[in-house]
Amino acid sequence: MNLKEWIFTTDHKRVGVLYLIGSIAAFIVAGIMALLMRAELSTVGPTITSNPTTYNVWLYAHGAVMILGFQIPALTGFFANYCIPLMIGAKDVAFPRVNALSVWLFYVGIILALLTFFIPDPPDIMWTGYPPYSTITTGNTALYTFTVLILGFASIIGGVNFLTTITYMRAPGLTWNKLNIFVWCTLGAFVLQLIFVPVLGTAVTLISMDKYLGTHFFDPTRGGDVLTYQNLFWFYSHPAVYVIFLPFFGVLFEIVATFAKNQVFNYKAVVYAGIGGIVLLAGEVWVHHLYVSGMVDWIRVGQMVTTLLISVPVGLMLIGLVGTLYKGSITFETPMLYALGVLFLFLIGGLTGIPLAVASLTLHLSDTYYVVGHFHYVMAVAGTFSIFAGVYYWFPKVTGRMYNEFWGKVGFWITFVGTNIVFWTMMDIGVKGMPRRYYDYAHFSQFEGAHQLMTIGAVILGVGFAIALINWIVGAAKGQPAGDNPWGSMSLEWTTVSPPPHGNWPTPPSVSEEWTPYAYGKR
Amino acid sequence: MDKILKRLAVTSVAAAAAGGAMAAAGGAERVFDPAPGWDYLWKEVLIDISVIGILFALMTAYLIWRYRRTPDNVVGSGPRLSPAAAVGWVVIPTFVFMADDFFIAANGWALWNKYRDVPADRLEIQLESGMYSWDYTYPNGVQTQNELIVPAGKPILLRMTSRDTLHSHFIPDFRVKEDSMPGRVTYIWFLPKEAGKEHLVTCAEYCGVMHSYMAGRVVVKTPEEFKAWYETSGASAKKSS
Amino acid sequence: MSQHHVAHHDAHHGGHHAHWDTSVWPAVISIGILAWSLAFSFHFVYHQSFAGLITFGLGLPLILAGIAGWTSEAMGKGEGLSFGAMGWFILAEAMIFMSFFAYYWFMRLNSPAWPPAGTPELPVVYPLVMTAVLVGSSITIHAAEHQMDLGNKSGFLTWLVVTIVLGLTFLGMSVYEWTHLIHGGFTIATNSFGTTFYSITGLHGSHVVVGLAIFLAGLLPALRGNISHGFWRTASLYWHFVDVIWFFVVSQVYFW
Repeated sequence: MNLKEWIFTTDHKRVGVLYLIGSIAAFIVAGIMALLMRAELSTVGPTITSNPTTYNVWLYAHGAVMILGFQIPALTGFFANYCIPLMIGAKDVAFPRVNALSVWLFYVGIILALLTFFIPDPPDIMWTGYPPYSTITTGNTALYTFTVLILGFASIIGGVNFLTTITYMRAPGLTWNKLNIFVWCTLGAFVLQLIFVPVLGTAVTLISMDKYLGTHFFDPTRGGDVLTYQNLFWFYSHPAVYVIFLPFFGVLFEIVATFAKNQVFNYKAVVYAGIGGIVLLAGEVWVHHLYVSGMVDWIRVGQMVTTLLISVPVGLMLIGLVGTLYKGSITFETPMLYALGVLFLFLIGGLTGIPLAVASLTLHLSDTYYVVGHFHYVMAVAGTFSIFAGVYYWFPKVTGRMYNEFWGKVGFWITFVGTNIVFWTMMDIGVKGMPRRYYDYAHFSQFEGAHQLMTIGAVILGVGFAIALINWIVGAAKGQPAGDNPWGSMSLEWTTVSPPPHGNWPTPPSVSEEWTPYAYGKR
Repeated sequence: MDKILKRLAVTSVAAAAAGGAMAAAGGAERVFDPAPGWDYLWKEVLIDISVIGILFALMTAYLIWRYRRTPDNVVGSGPRLSPAAAVGWVVIPTFVFMADDFFIAANGWALWNKYRDVPADRLEIQLESGMYSWDYTYPNGVQTQNELIVPAGKPILLRMTSRDTLHSHFIPDFRVKEDSMPGRVTYIWFLPKEAGKEHLVTCAEYCGVMHSYMAGRVVVKTPEEFKAWYETSGASAKKSS
Repeated sequence: MSQHHVAHHDAHHGGHHAHWDTSVWPAVISIGILAWSLAFSFHFVYHQSFAGLITFGLGLPLILAGIAGWTSEAMGKGEGLSFGAMGWFILAEAMIFMSFFAYYWFMRLNSPAWPPAGTPELPVVYPLVMTAVLVGSSITIHAAEHQMDLGNKSGFLTWLVVTIVLGLTFLGMSVYEWTHLIHGGFTIATNSFGTTFYSITGLHGSHVVVGLAIFLAGLLPALRGNISHGFWRTASLYWHFVDVIWFFVVSQVYFW
């Protein structure tokens, strides 16, 4: 193997694999942060560190790295890079060098994020970075700003690249209504990235300008306003949830259709009403993060309605996904187990979000463990399970080898149990008043038992994820040869050899009138 | 360990049960107390989402079991929807979801207005938060720190601002919080009912290193006790200034 | 469009590729950007200006070499799709400006008095002259494109150089105005208007710099006769965008 051809590669598949390696490394680091936090919280008062700042840095790193370093890059970096050109029958993306630049910038971003653990005065401002704290702390806010800016720029050029690729490089005969749902979902996610990432970039730049260059964006004594930051920040960061949600739902659609050997239920509804609806509504709901932040009343009530309406497109996508099971022929290999697990986790996560859309209920629930439990169910765990499902699913394509099915299933069940122990308990004590981001819960010592239960659950969760990671490493090195299409899928990426060569196909594919990626009944 | 298992078992029921009891206790004559209103709405929404969730989960589980691979079911035969059916599968769920959304939104809005409309007969107290304390100033100039002494049965309005970072004055027992920040004034109100009780105040917005230690309490006194305390400390506040 | 792509595919799929494409320039640029990020932290956070200077000095040649290497390696190969891509990129760019304007409007409309104390009288004629210069450069780049379509290389180069000169004139006028205001005591730290004034005009100015950099990067191959239509159509689209944004800047910041 030629290392230079990997490091400086411009091939979309290798760029994708580099994204995967980087994001899994980020996942491991951020996961260790979670375990350290759970260890700290296993007793009231100091447990493994007596310095609250240390805990706050873990908390910052866990959130920032999981979202910016793991979920978004794994979904819009690895899956999009690896699958989109293959699914649309292209030999590569529109701008391969730009693609290489985006993965390199992603690594620069990861390096900056990980410097947190090696520099004096690391950032301790949470992944939200609210001023005034972020402009007066002794922590290094600039590191946070540059991490976000560089990862954001990588996302933007990646988005430009893929939107161009999907628009102009589809194989002959592959019309818009024959695209894989995953391609549609990713397209929606990239449109959201292009519109909203610049706003986040602006917001985080302004806090560093205030802190280091003497400006007064958020200084009320000179005419600035602290609330503006929160608006700019959430104007991106709520749509960021859909940047994660859309591709992971796309992955689920691919897996469920393949393992149910069935066509997607009501394809056009999923694409136009579901994905389209989410893209249209994504920018009008951010104020639900600011229900208790002192915004004017009318906008809080108005966005309560738009926030609740998000349930419509999400519900339509869920109907499409569950409907794909109807009259299917379902088998339960590891990717499918993870995907079906997500259905239930997402259901819990989505429904527990409804109270958080209601402005009056958030007066109690906001900034408690209920919120933390909810978004871990709906985004963190559902997203991560989908990423694991997708990696298992495309594992034979990427490596040409098979993972171990038995250990795959064991890993799934362990993580599934661990997840529910941790995050269900979290929501429960949140409703009872436990506030988030607490290094010490001396005023809530009645929750010590619950915290210990969550610590045990977190360890179980960690074991489950570790089994999956080890399974991949062993499978990639010594797994049985998998063949080109082990799942019997109709989708184009399975029509080439595993792993695909540079250029993907010896002769470019074209598709027939009857073909769709889900045309199972017609074989 | 026993405690842990028990908690796991009662978890789902506990939150639902907490609601009903308090709704009935609802407060003083004309004043609508938002806290029991919160518990009532929470219970209502919880029932709503539980019903949807259980129905959906059961249906999904049934589909998974019913359409598993068997020797005479080796390939899916999902329906190809007619245009009318395809549109129906969009329009009907959309209206069902929207009906539920608007039902919840309307109830949420009504309760929201109760939270935001402060009764005219109230005690108005200034709050300045800072790293890491709650500093209250009463109308007569009395100042307290981390201890909000209030008379039972009277609506309490806090006008809040901050001298440094964001903080959030959270009183779990009264189901209310709102951020305080430099440069703006925000408010919350609540209705203390039972004299002799103390309620925890805690910070709910990450404000710095000692965030988790930023706590205080609401001390509820009888109107008479409160009046006595208020007047004596008011007199000494005047003397010292 | 699709016909073009069928041909494109056929041309590149002669047989099985054992070879994998590589390019070192994305890595070179990225390492330069990493060095610059560290330079900021060294200088502003840890007050170690010498280390900051060194990392900045390391980053600069890497970024310049990266851009130069990239341009010479890739120019003329596959810019066919870059015009469409630039449209998406401009959407993202427009959102950056939108965020600044949203901040500016939000702050201004919430403010009891405007402009805040310490704001000097801004000139009226000067920004109009700047507008005329920038609009002029939009017209000249359009003329250059027209000459390119006619196949007139020297006409294209002439109009391109005129455009670059106009762009530089605009930048020079900006710099002059900033110096003038700063000498008058109005800086980015004066008040919230100073903060928005310098950040919005500075953000726009940085886009003029990027536009000129794109022109210069393409000028060298063009002088050697390598004129890529895709590249120049895209560069010109970006320049028009920078021009259009200026109307928002000038109307909101100077005249409102």
